[in-house]
Amino acid sequence: MNNQHRLQHKMAPYIFVAPFLVLFAAFQAWPIIKSLMLAFYVTAGPKNAVFVGTKNFQFLLNDPDFFIAVKNTATFAFCSVLLQLPVALGLAILLSQKWVRGRDFFRLAFFSPQLVGSVFVGVLFSVLFVPQYGIIVQFLNWLSPDRFPLDTKFLADQNLVMPAIIMTALWMYAGHHMVYFLAALQAVDKDLYEAAQVDGASGAQQFRSVTLPGIRPVVIFTLLTSTIGSFQLFELPFIMLGQGSGPNKSGLTVVMYLYQTGFVTGDLGYASTVGWKLAFFVLIISLAQLKLTGALKNE
Amino acid sequence: MRSAEFSTPHSAFRIPHSAFRIFMPSFPFGRAAFWILLLCLFSGTARLYFTAHDARVAASHSETNIKFWTFAKQHYDAYQSAFDTFEKKHPGTKIEDQLVSWVAVTQRLQAAMWSGVDLPDVVEIPIDTAGGYFRGPIDDVGFLDITERVKTAGLLDGMVASRFTSYTSRGHIFGVPHDVHPVMLAYNAEIFKKEGVDADSIKTWDDFIRVGKKLTIPNKRYMIEFEEARSAHLEMCLFQRNSALFDIKGNVIFDGETGVKTMLWFVPLIAAKDRIANNLGGGQILTKAVEDGYFVCLVCPDWRSKSIEKDIPSMSGKMKLMPLPAVSPGQRRTSTWGGTMIGITKQCKHPDLAWQLILHLYLDKKELGQRFNDTNILPALRAAWKQPEFDEKREYWSGQKLGNLYSALAPDVPAQVTSPFIAQGKAKLGEALVDCITYYRANGDKNFESYARTRLKKSGDELRALIARNPY
Repeated sequence: MNNQHRLQHKMAPYIFVAPFLVLFAAFQAWPIIKSLMLAFYVTAGPKNAVFVGTKNFQFLLNDPDFFIAVKNTATFAFCSVLLQLPVALGLAILLSQKWVRGRDFFRLAFFSPQLVGSVFVGVLFSVLFVPQYGIIVQFLNWLSPDRFPLDTKFLADQNLVMPAIIMTALWMYAGHHMVYFLAALQAVDKDLYEAAQVDGASGAQQFRSVTLPGIRPVVIFTLLTSTIGSFQLFELPFIMLGQGSGPNKSGLTVVMYLYQTGFVTGDLGYASTVGWKLAFFVLIISLAQLKLTGALKNE
Repeated sequence: MRSAEFSTPHSAFRIPHSAFRIFMPSFPFGRAAFWILLLCLFSGTARLYFTAHDARVAASHSETNIKFWTFAKQHYDAYQSAFDTFEKKHPGTKIEDQLVSWVAVTQRLQAAMWSGVDLPDVVEIPIDTAGGYFRGPIDDVGFLDITERVKTAGLLDGMVASRFTSYTSRGHIFGVPHDVHPVMLAYNAEIFKKEGVDADSIKTWDDFIRVGKKLTIPNKRYMIEFEEARSAHLEMCLFQRNSALFDIKGNVIFDGETGVKTMLWFVPLIAAKDRIANNLGGGQILTKAVEDGYFVCLVCPDWRSKSIEKDIPSMSGKMKLMPLPAVSPGQRRTSTWGGTMIGITKQCKHPDLAWQLILHLYLDKKELGQRFNDTNILPALRAAWKQPEFDEKREYWSGQKLGNLYSALAPDVPAQVTSPFIAQGKAKLGEALVDCITYYRANGDKNFESYARTRLKKSGDELRALIARNPY
C-alpha cells in the first residue's frame, strides 16, 4: 500500500462522517451553545442584546407566568401519562384477543388520529367543546345536566381548559401508544402463558407476572417518550385556545411560554433561559423515571 | 489497499467512458465517493444558478413592484379596485397584494424583520400588536419612521389625530391609521319591539342594565354578549371611561381607581346570579345564537357591523344600531375596539412610491366612499365622511344610515395608547378579569371590591416587573 492510499484509508472515515458533523455543528451544536449564551442576555430581537449575567435565571425563579406554565405542563404530563398508557395498554390487550371481531379495523380506527396531525385535532376539538352546540357539551349535559349546563365553556373556563386538553390528547395519542404495546404483546413468549396456566395462574396473575415483565422495555420506552412529549406540549393548546394561553393562562405550557417570550415579546434571551430550564426538568424527570422503573439498573 | 475497495462491485452506475475507467482507480475513495462528489457539484451549481436567476428576476421587478400584505379579508377585497387605479396612475408599477394570516403579521412579520428575510414593502398590522414592533432602540424598529411625511401631508389635521397614538413610539410615527372604529351596540329590533323597549330611552349603562334584567331569561336569552375569558370588552369599557392599559408615558394604569371601578361594574354583569351578559364564542356559534335570539345586543364597532351582515344574513331588516350607553348622563356614547395601521418596512426599496400607495389607499375620498360600502369601516380621513355612501340607508340595519351613525360618534372616540408590552398588558388584565369573575361567582359581593383591587394590583405589579427588565 503506497503512502497515498494509506492516507486515503486513514482519512476515509472522517471524510464520510464530515457532512453529518458539519450539519450537526451548524444546526444543532451551535444553536445549543448560542442559546446557552443568549440565556445571559436581555434581547429585543437578535440584533439588540444587553448582558445581564444571571438575572434571567433570577427573574425566572420569581416569574409567576413561568410557574403557571410549569404547573400546567406537569399536570398535563402526569394526567396524560396516567390516562394514556393504561388506556393504550387496555386497547392493545383487547385488540390482541383473537375473539375480537374487526380487530384490524379497530386498530386502524384507534391509530387514525395520529394520521391527521395535532392542528387538525385541535381545530376539531375546539368545535366539539363549543358551549350550547358542541357535541361533547351536549353529551355531558345529557349525562349530568346540573353539572354540565349547556353553556359550559370548556375552553373559556380556567378550571376546564386543562381537562379539555387532556381529553383531546387522550383521543389523539392513546392509539399511538397502543401500536407499541400491540407489537410488544406479540413478542411475549406464548409458552410462558401456557406454563402459567398449567401452574393455575389466573388472568390477573398472568398479566402481572408474564405480560407486564414481557413488555417492560416497551412500557419504559413509552413512559419516557410520552413524558418528554407531554413536556413539549404546544400545538394542541395553541390551536384549541385560539393561539392564546386560555383564560388566566390555564392552558399555558412551558413551550408556549418559551414561544411567546421569544417570538412575540422578542426576548430571545429569556426564552433561552426558559428553554434550558425545561431541558433541565425533562432530564430530571426522565432520570427519575428510569430509576423508579429500574431501567438504569438493568442497563 | 487499493482505492477500488471503496467502490461498489455491483453498482448500477457504470462509468461509460474508457477515460473514466482509466481515471477511476486513481480517484480517492472509489466510485461511491466520486458520484457523491459529482452530485454535490451538480446540486451546488444548480442552486447557485437558480439563486442568481431569482435575484436577477427580483432585481428586474424591484424597480416597479410593491409587495403589499394585509391580514383582513375585508380590506384585501376592498383594495382591489384601488390597486388598479394606482397602477394606472403609476405606469410600470405592479402591486403584489397578498392576504396573509393574522399570525403572519402579528408574530412572523416580527421574526422576519429581525432576520431580514423576504418582507413586504407595505403592510397593515392590527392595533393590538403594533406596540410590540416598537420594542428596542428606536433606530431598530422594523418600520420606516414616517413622522415627517405624515406632517408634510397634513394627516394629523385631516385624520382623527387620536388614532395616531397607537402607532407612535417615543415621538416617532410609524403607521397611518386605517380606521376609527367607533363602537355602537347592535340589537335585535324584533325582540325590543316585542318586549316594548324603546332603544332611545337607553341613555346610560344603568338604563341598559335595567332593560337587560327585564329581557334576560337565564340559559335562553341574554341582554348582551360580553367576553369573560379575554379582556377585549373590559378594555373597551376602560377606554370609554378615559382609561387604558397604559398612559402616554408607558406606565401601567389599569390597576388605578378607574380600572378598579370598571372591574367592579363589569364583573357582576357576567358573574352575578341575575347576570345579563354571556359569551359562547365566535363564528357559526355566534351566528346561531343571534338567530336564536340568545343574544339581544352585540358590541358593534364599525368593522363588526359588516361581519354581522355577512355571517348572519338571516337577520337582515331585524337588526338596528344604537350608541353605546354612557357611563353617566351626558358623557361619551362610544368607545373603540380594534384598529389597523399601515406602515412601510425598512427593507422597502421604493419608500416614496410606497408612501404614494398609502396616500392613495387611505386618502382618496372616492375610493374611501366605495370602500365604506364594501367594509362598513369608517376611515380616519374626516373629509371622506361627507361622501354620499356614508349617507345611504342600509336595509340590513332596518334602514339606518350607518355612515352617519358611526361618523357622528367618531370625534369622541378615545385614544388607544400603545406600549411594547401591549400583548402582556392585555393578558394580565385578562387574568385579573378571569379571577375576579371566579371570585364573584363563589362569593358574590362579599369583599369583592377589596379582592378586585388586590387582584388588579397583582397583575399591574407583574407587568411592571416585566417592563422593568427592558433595558431599552
